[in-house]
Amino acid sequence: MLYALMGLGLSLITGVLNIPNFAHGALFAVGAYFLVSVVGLLGNFWLGLLVAPLGVALLGLLIEWAGVRRLYAAGHDYQLLFTFGLALILNELIIVIWGPVGLSHLPPALLRGGVDLGFTFYPKYRLFVMVMAGLLVVATWLFLEKTRYGAIMRAGIENKEMVSLLGIDIHRLFTVAFALGAYLAGIAGALTAPIRGLSPGMGVDMLGIAFVVVALGGLGNLLGAIAAGLLIGIAQAVVAAYWTEASTVVIFAVMALVLLVRPQGMFGIR
Amino acid sequence: MRAWPLILVSICVLPFIVRPAIAAEIWIFAIFGLGLNLLLGYTGLLSFGQSTFFGSAAYVAGYLLKHYAIGVFPALGIGIAVGGLSALLVGYLCVQRSGLYFIMLTFALNQLFYFIAYQWTSVTGGEDGMPGVPRPAFLGVDFRDPMAYYLFVSALFALSLWLMQRIVQSPLGKILQGIRENEVRAEAVGYHAPRFKLLAFVIGGAFSGLAGVLYAMLFGIVPLEAISFVTSGNVVFATLIGGSGSLYGPIIGSFVFIWLSESMSVVWARWPLLLGVAFIIVVLFFRGGVVEAWNRIWRFSRQRA
Repeated sequence: MLYALMGLGLSLITGVLNIPNFAHGALFAVGAYFLVSVVGLLGNFWLGLLVAPLGVALLGLLIEWAGVRRLYAAGHDYQLLFTFGLALILNELIIVIWGPVGLSHLPPALLRGGVDLGFTFYPKYRLFVMVMAGLLVVATWLFLEKTRYGAIMRAGIENKEMVSLLGIDIHRLFTVAFALGAYLAGIAGALTAPIRGLSPGMGVDMLGIAFVVVALGGLGNLLGAIAAGLLIGIAQAVVAAYWTEASTVVIFAVMALVLLVRPQGMFGIR
Repeated sequence: MRAWPLILVSICVLPFIVRPAIAAEIWIFAIFGLGLNLLLGYTGLLSFGQSTFFGSAAYVAGYLLKHYAIGVFPALGIGIAVGGLSALLVGYLCVQRSGLYFIMLTFALNQLFYFIAYQWTSVTGGEDGMPGVPRPAFLGVDFRDPMAYYLFVSALFALSLWLMQRIVQSPLGKILQGIRENEVRAEAVGYHAPRFKLLAFVIGGAFSGLAGVLYAMLFGIVPLEAISFVTSGNVVFATLIGGSGSLYGPIIGSFVFIWLSESMSVVWARWPLLLGVAFIIVVLFFRGGVVEAWNRIWRFSRQRA
């Protein structure tokens, strides 16, 4: 479900803005580190979970406003270089600020321990993450499908010229989409922190996965992102149970296999 | 053609300005860049996974050099073959998509190879890299001497440049440029675009493979970074900073990039931060790279005169 969340955010950014966002993984990592700092400062996990992703969204807003905005007319190569440079900067800043050694972070007291589900014993926090991620995906879906602005955003994915011809401020739309995508990356990072711990490299690992989700699910395709996220999550879990070393590789192997059969992705049309 | 004297002079002068190892690294990176530029500059394909071919070749050839004591030329041949073959695999999956999907796929497949290298510690050494790659002597020439190895690398670079020049000017090169300019029209004229893109991939991969083996022999180690996305990003950056539209762009870019990273890494351990800043400055203010900037200055001075 976390993969779906990451893929969804990236899918929004790439779909609406038509840029390859290589900084998406870095935003994910920043979300996790923000959570640790906010929790350390305020001593409250729930407040951290609220504030940290908003911080990332703000960062996204700033990035779009200061840099990405100037690059819509440039080729993908320069957009890529820009976001890649950004990823390097964020990654190194994490090392400078929080140190190169990984951190671990405990879930809040309420969610420690496990619950007996009858057939298996499951950690409470993981259950919580699943529910949270599910809720967020549903909320994003409702926003995109049921609200006016969501409809405008979907229209922006389909046809930008038409949207701006209809008198809608396309630049504001881009900014909002980028911030929303950054928010989703940030909250995915924040939720992950207590499960996997934190390390400066966490962003890059996640970036590859997010790309796989988008490549399989299709740009701007919400249901595709969810399905692809679930597919590779399950594939990874199954393989991890039998052959731990291969659990990361399998994500990309699944992608290669799917693309062999369906080059356009699972639901893709392009 | 007019650039050849300049290149020969630089080959002769360079090792006396910087250490031969760094001079060799510049030419190796230039070979790597030439391979990418065939895709990026001439075919219009932005591949963000070139280190797949670079790293795979370095690992395979390095492993054979280390454990089976093969000679220099067999190692190079194997590296070129591995580079081309891995490019064939990756390219087959990637050329069917275009635009953003293409970029993301090359990156994702790069990650696939990266994680294989990361986990397969018994062969690759994982995070520690694969040390102990030798530089075997050839016909009595001891390549352990830095200068001898430098000259060897330079000669191979000159050969690569000549070959790439021939490729770009050949009918194949023209077809690739046609695909870059207008893929639909190239298809309409009768060229099956995916097949030619794949061909460009394999040629680019072979150049990357050559660079990868030379790199492994230069430093005696295959670090994990050789196959990581950072290397892919660096070669894209070097090519763009030099100017992707020209044959010589990647060479200039390689100079600037190696010089930048060597001088910055001495200053601060967190130099990738500065590198990131450099990327952004180039993107926001110097699009087109050094070659483009030079052309603009040149045209400007011509107008004034």
